[in-house]
Parts: sequence; structure tokens; C-alpha cells
Amino acid sequence: MKVLLIEDDQETCAYVARGLREQGHVVDLAATGRDGLFLAADGGHDVLIVDRMLPGLDGISLVKTLRQTGVKAPVLFLTALGGVGDRVRGLEAGGDDYLVKPFAFAELLARVNALARRPPLTDRPTVLRAGDLEMDLLQRTVCRGGKPVELQAREFQLLEFLMRNADRVVTRTMLLESVWDFHFEPKTNIVETHISRLRSKLSQRGGAELIYTVRGAGYALRTPIPDQP
Amino acid sequence: MNRIVLPRLLRVASFRFAALYVIVFAGSALVLGVTLFLKAGSALQEQMTARIETEAAFLREEFQADGLAHLIDVVRARGQGAGALDYLIEDQVGGHLAGEMPARADLKPGWTTIDVPQASEDGGRPERVRALVSDLGGGVLLAVGTDLRQVGDLKKAIATAFLWTVGLAAVLGIIGGALLSRAFLRRVDTIARTAEAIIGGDLGYRVPMRGTGDDLDRLAGTLNRMLDRIAILMDSLRQVSTDVAHDLRTPLSRLYQRLEDARAHARSMADYEVSVDAALGEAQGLLETFSALLRIAQVEGASPRAGFIDVDLSAVTEAVSDAYRLDAEEADHQLIATIAEGVIVSGDQELLTQALANLVENALRHTPPGTQISVRLEGNSEAGALLLVEDDGPGVAEADLPRLTDRFYRGERSRTTPGNGLGLSLVSAVAELHGAELSLTAMKPGLRVSLALPAAKRRPPHT
Repeated sequence: MKVLLIEDDQETCAYVARGLREQGHVVDLAATGRDGLFLAADGGHDVLIVDRMLPGLDGISLVKTLRQTGVKAPVLFLTALGGVGDRVRGLEAGGDDYLVKPFAFAELLARVNALARRPPLTDRPTVLRAGDLEMDLLQRTVCRGGKPVELQAREFQLLEFLMRNADRVVTRTMLLESVWDFHFEPKTNIVETHISRLRSKLSQRGGAELIYTVRGAGYALRTPIPDQP
Repeated sequence: MNRIVLPRLLRVASFRFAALYVIVFAGSALVLGVTLFLKAGSALQEQMTARIETEAAFLREEFQADGLAHLIDVVRARGQGAGALDYLIEDQVGGHLAGEMPARADLKPGWTTIDVPQASEDGGRPERVRALVSDLGGGVLLAVGTDLRQVGDLKKAIATAFLWTVGLAAVLGIIGGALLSRAFLRRVDTIARTAEAIIGGDLGYRVPMRGTGDDLDRLAGTLNRMLDRIAILMDSLRQVSTDVAHDLRTPLSRLYQRLEDARAHARSMADYEVSVDAALGEAQGLLETFSALLRIAQVEGASPRAGFIDVDLSAVTEAVSDAYRLDAEEADHQLIATIAEGVIVSGDQELLTQALANLVENALRHTPPGTQISVRLEGNSEAGALLLVEDDGPGVAEADLPRLTDRFYRGERSRTTPGNGLGLSLVSAVAELHGAELSLTAMKPGLRVSLALPAAKRRPPHT
């Protein structure tokens, strides 16, 4: 996929660009807000990674301008500002996700992947499927192999997030933010314990492991390849 | 010296007020004086006219009753003495019969002005007399009058008195203003000198107060309180810098040692990976400490109530205790939540969530297995909320309690467990931002942390 990285810090720029290229993505670079605006307006990018603080034109104004001119590509804000309210301002300006520096590359990659394939809000399905796992979002029920699985509210949300991002890595921070609405790093293993509880509930009646741990990055719900008859 | 002081004196507010006061006072005194001057003049004139008319009528009666000779006697008698009127009796052809006024042939009945020549020792200038001439019949004319100078003298006296009064008042006012200003200047100078001393670097100076409770004293009191506050802030800033330097040196040197060790001793890729992973872990911990510090600083620097919304504290408490319940079970703890429903407070949901999470994490991490942790939310939207996190663990030494919220402070027992000693500092900062009262109580056994939040203030709807 094609990513536009608008970042003035050369080290960060090189680090992120190299990582993304290693993953097979095409990366365009811009070091100032104006260059970024020019490149982004050209269109054709799947994801924009925008630093909040840029020379010339700051990230917030840049994204506001882009949104006004009809550029709909998802935006991931990078920032050194981790303050309360900074995230909200970024999202209000038209950003889709927010990542505070310093970050692990795995975190950035997971978020970029999640953004790039985010389905449009209009055609959200009411039933999610992954292999023999089926989630009914209206009835709030989960079945595995046709048999119901009892989940608590939080476990349901956790599984929903994993299924919406099936076959993609989701990080611990992404889970904390979207499932628990926790915008800080807990010192205990909230995510780990909940994942392990979810795993055991899903495999109560047997069946292949669905939720994988991706070392150094997070978790992924992998859709099993159907057995060939 | 005077050349420097005087212009400055003129610029002092109190002097200007005094000067303005003197000007207004002198102006009104002048208006009063002029009015009085005119009124007194005309009143005197009327009085004189009445006296002359009465005298003329009296003399006419005397003449009609007793004849000319008697009138002449009467006039001569009445013409004596100070303050007497001036008289003239003349015959038809202008012959002088009696009185000090000279006879004139052209006298007609009615008011007129007659010049009376004066003896040379009196200055020689003729005296102007305003006189009423009456025809007494029988060829006799009578004139009764008075010296115009009397009225003039009186007017002059009034004017002089007023000019003196106004002049004296102006002079006294200016002197008084100058004295007041000097006193005022001295006190302002004291304040300025104190400020200069503080600018010079010694925050220990305070503006002296005279205990009179006047406005300058009140100003001095306010300034002193401001200085106290600044001193406290400076102290805590200094403390934080010291703490940061001190507490970050340990992990930084560990990081340094690990990298140095890898450089010197690592022989294989696996060795390098182990060292790099360890260094990454150290760096991660440092970054977390920094972001925790930054977050505390941001919370402390935030303006209260800015961006506050109505937060459903019941839901927050439920979400947090729900999030940690599994962790608690894993660690063989028991987490019990008792939550009053529908408790709304005004605040920042993200910060309140993190504060409560920190409290629950503390209770989980610093107590042995088997401990019961109780999270309770009491109160309602009107009376305010009371959030309690209690455990029945070994608790904290009474002496440690006041220092628990200090940055980097860690109790004796928790020195060896992972953590940065910033959790409660953040809770404390969040409490302060929300105007909430944070208190820590040793329960023997266990620790009770309570957070008393004020009721959500319903803002009046915008019209």
C-alpha cells in the first residue's frame, strides 16, 4: 500500500520509512507541512502519517485543510505531546488515530494496517465471521461451530475488536484504548489475562486456536484456512 | 536632590489627587465668594436706600410740624457722629441753609449724585454721595444721602477676605498633598525595594506591614501571600528537579552498564540479543517514568474545570473494577466493588479513570496473595462523591503516609518491587485539579485511600 509520511525529524522519518518499506509498502516523504499538503492533495495514498508539529504548517491545520478539500485517506497523528486533550484535538481535526512518541515500530505498523483496511462506516456488517466463529452484533451473541459461547460484556468487545481486525496484528495499547477506553499504560496484565480468559472460553468445546500472540507486537485473530475436501 | 524628588513628587498619584482637590476647593470657594460679594453689595445698597427714605420722611414731618428753623437744628444735630448720613437744606434759589453737602441750583426732587469737596488732609478728592432730594414745600429743598465709598469699602473687605482664604487653602493643600505623597512614596519605595531584592534572587524578603489594615497594608499582605505561594512552587520545582536527577540516574546507569557490558563481553548474536533486550527494557522503563512525570506536570498545570464534562463516576468505577477483576483473581486477590448508581461528577473522564486505576493497581501490587481489595463509590450527584479503595493487607507505616504522594517516594516494603513511585503523585494531582480531597488512612490492617469529589455543578443553561 501507499503511505505518505509527513515528518520533519529526519531520524524518525528514516526509521519509519525503512520499516514500512521492509513490509513492502510504498512510502512518500515530506519534511514540511506545505510539501505534505501538496503531496497529499495529489491523492492516491492509503494512509497518511502526520506529525503534529511541523515547520510551515502544523499537522492539525494540514489535516483540517485536507479534509476540507475532500481528501478522505485515514490519518495517523504522531506526536511528542502526550497531553490530556491533545488526542481529542487531533481526532476532532479529522485524524483517525493518534500515536505518542516514542513508539515501537510494531505499534505504528499495527495501527497503519488497521487504518488502511478500515471499512467505511456505512456498510458495517451485523454479523462477523472468522472460521467457525460467528458473532451477531445485534443479538450480542457468539457461536463457535454453531454452539453458543457465553461471554461477558468486556470479553465480547475484545473479541469484536479482534474479529473486525481479523488477520491483522492489534497491539496491547490498541486494545486498551478501544476496549477499555484506557489511555495509559496499566502496570498489571489486564490485556493478557482477558485474552487468556477469552481463549479458554473459545476453545471450551475444542477447535483450533484462533487468537495468536505476536511476539513483541500484540495479538492477531487468524482465520483458519478451510480444510480442502 | 530636590530637583530629582520634586518632579517625582508631582507624579505621585496622591499628590495629584491633593492638587486636584485644592483646585476644586479653590474654584468653589471663588464662586461662593463672587456670589456673596454681589449679594452683599446689593443688600447694602437696599439697606442704605431704605435708611435714606426713612430719614427723609422723618425730616419732612419735622419740617411740617415745627418749621424750617427746627429742621435746621435737627439736621445739624443728626449730622454729627460717625456713620451719620449727609444732609443738605437749601432754598429755592440754591442758597445753602444747612448740611455738609454743597448747595446746587439745579437740584430736582428724586435720586441724584452730589460731589462733596473734601478737606485737603483727607486726600482732597471729592466724595461722591448718593442722595434723595425732596421738595418740602415753601421753597425748601432737602437732600439726604450717603457716601458711596462705604459700599465700596465693604465689598473690598469681602473680596480681600476671600482671596486670603482661598490662597491659604491652596497653599496648605499643596503642602499637605506633598507631605501625604512623601509618606505614600516612602511606602511604595519600600515595596519596590522588596521587589528589587527578590528580583535580585532572595525570595525570602517580604513587604513590611504596618498593621494598620489600610489599603497599602492590604496590598502588602496580598503581595506577601503571592510571594509565599511562589516560594512553595519554587521549592517543589527544585525538589522535583533533584528527584528527577536522583531517581533517573539509577536506571540510566543500569542501561549504560548493560550496553557497556554487551560491547565488552558479548561473543554471539544471542548474547547481543539478550543485552539489547535488557537495555530496551530499561529504556522502556525510563520512557514510562518520563511520560508519567510529564503527565503529572500537565495535570498540575491544567486550569481547573477547563474541558470538564459531566462524568458518570459510577460507570468509570464499574469499568475500572471490572478491568482489574481478572488480574486480581490471577494474583489470588479478591476484588469487591460496591458502587452507588448514577453518581455524576464534573471532571475529566480520562484522568479520573487513570487515577482510580492507579489506586487499584497499588492495592493489587503492594499486597500479598489473599488480600481483599474493596472499591466503593458512595454519594450522589447533589452531595458529591466518595470513592474509596481499601485493602486488608499489611498497610503502610503511619510515618510514611504523608510522603506517599510525593514524586518518586516509595515505602520501605515496595522498594524492591517494580514501579516508579509516581502513581499516587498522579492521583494527588488529579484530585487537586478536580477540587477533590485525597486522604490516606492506615486502617491496621490495610490502607484506605479515599477521594472525596465535589458535586457536579450544573452550569446554568446558556440563553
